Amino acid sequence: MVSTASAAAPQSVNVADMGLKMTAEPAANHIEARGLNKTFGSFKALEDIDFEIRNQEFVSVLGPSGCGKSTLLRIVAGLIPYESGSATIKGEAVRAPRPDVGVVFQTNNMLPWLTVRRNVELGARIRNMPAGARDAAVDKILDVLSLTKFADAHPHQLSGGMRQRASIGQALVLDPQILLMDEPFGALDALTRDKLNVELLRIWQESRKTVMLITHSIAEAVFLSDRVLVMADRPGKIVEEVTIDLPRPRNAATTRAMPKFGEYVAYLGKVMGVAN
Amino acid sequence: MPGVSSRLAAYSQVVLFFGAFLLFWEYGVRYFEVKSYILPPISAIAVAVWEARSEIFENSMYTLAEVLIGFGAAVVVGVMLGMVVYVSPFAQRTIYPLVTALQTTPKSALAPLMIVWFGYGFISKVAMAFLFAFFPIVVATLGGFAGTAKNLEEHFRALNAGPWRTFTTLRLPSALPSFIDGCRVAMPLAMIGAIIGELVGSERGLGNLIMLGTASTRTDLVFGCIIVITLISLALYALIEFAAKSVWWRGIQV
Repeated sequence: MVSTASAAAPQSVNVADMGLKMTAEPAANHIEARGLNKTFGSFKALEDIDFEIRNQEFVSVLGPSGCGKSTLLRIVAGLIPYESGSATIKGEAVRAPRPDVGVVFQTNNMLPWLTVRRNVELGARIRNMPAGARDAAVDKILDVLSLTKFADAHPHQLSGGMRQRASIGQALVLDPQILLMDEPFGALDALTRDKLNVELLRIWQESRKTVMLITHSIAEAVFLSDRVLVMADRPGKIVEEVTIDLPRPRNAATTRAMPKFGEYVAYLGKVMGVAN
Repeated sequence: MPGVSSRLAAYSQVVLFFGAFLLFWEYGVRYFEVKSYILPPISAIAVAVWEARSEIFENSMYTLAEVLIGFGAAVVVGVMLGMVVYVSPFAQRTIYPLVTALQTTPKSALAPLMIVWFGYGFISKVAMAFLFAFFPIVVATLGGFAGTAKNLEEHFRALNAGPWRTFTTLRLPSALPSFIDGCRVAMPLAMIGAIIGELVGSERGLGNLIMLGTASTRTDLVFGCIIVITLISLALYALIEFAAKSVWWRGIQV
């Protein structure tokens, strides 16, 4: 019953014009947290979190393991409650998962008994997208992620990198305006991770979604983001905000070779070292 | 084709082993002069089965019906109870400990009671097959639902999937491998239950035939019945194995 109700929500997005939306920008920040606190029992996970992510902005949250960055993402995603302060999406308080927000988790969420195609279209089915639009959206996503050849394979037949790509496809199929990514490449080897960073960048440059990326990789954060929020742990709080002033469109070869890229990486490394 | 020749070798090993076993049985009892009411030669058993074939067939069908109905009822009730216990914390606190306690009762001790309750006929044997098959299926079903991956549950929550959709798309398929494992255990147990019921008190069935054979020192017929029971059990187990093939994602982690 819940799924029917959410499908009727006004945020349902037409997938056909993915990346071509010409609507006026809403006044409110896409993602905003003010004075956000979260505790698990006596453990203070998040303290006084303040940040905002504007429409079409790519922001990374960088921090060591266990600093509460995943908790922050789950609060923004509407998956867990928070105690005090506020978390809003487009100016509306977050109470439950929303159809205009896609979430990619660190563990790929493939159902082993479904083919790649059926896995990618899962969200569209659950949100009752009409079959025609759904098929078009899935075809497009599989193409964008170079998974068309593997559409009829099952997840266990794919490599870890391909499974994670398909996981991103699961979130993209609904063409959400906002994409929350919780260390999506954390379980991959460095080479695959670099490749997927480039792919994510390409997809983002084409469709310009608002992205909140949780990561513990400094290079990944610098390469992809407009801004980087650095978190420290015990309790988790934001200790530094760095605007990444590297020209766009970025690409693997030139951007990573820029002196400024190295400077940002060094600076963030220092901040992380000091903060923790 | 090295694959074919190695398979042929494996196959011939099996044939040789069982051939040797049967020959040893046949000539061993003669050589050691074992009395035929203790252990008849295998040829005598074959002759006895052939001569009583229509009787054995009829009784086999009767026992098979008891097993299948008892097993089917165990699947239906077991899965329903497993689901109820999974979704209801109340049932988890009350019914589940009761089920666990009952599971430790030796089910064979219930056979006389079943006959008092349901008579000497068909129903008491179905009840016995049910009792034997029921518990493994409840436990396996519950384990299957409880084993649903937490990250997938969160994924479904993030998609606002309703309870019914989550059940049919996620929980049911992830519980199936465990459920099939439960059936693997339960199917031979259902046969054991039905046979025990027949041994304790019955008018028909292979267990009844064993009792008649024992009473008239027809050990050859008793052995024949035991072999037929074993073959039926094997066939039923193969059926479950066949069904298990469609749940191929068992043990696959992605």
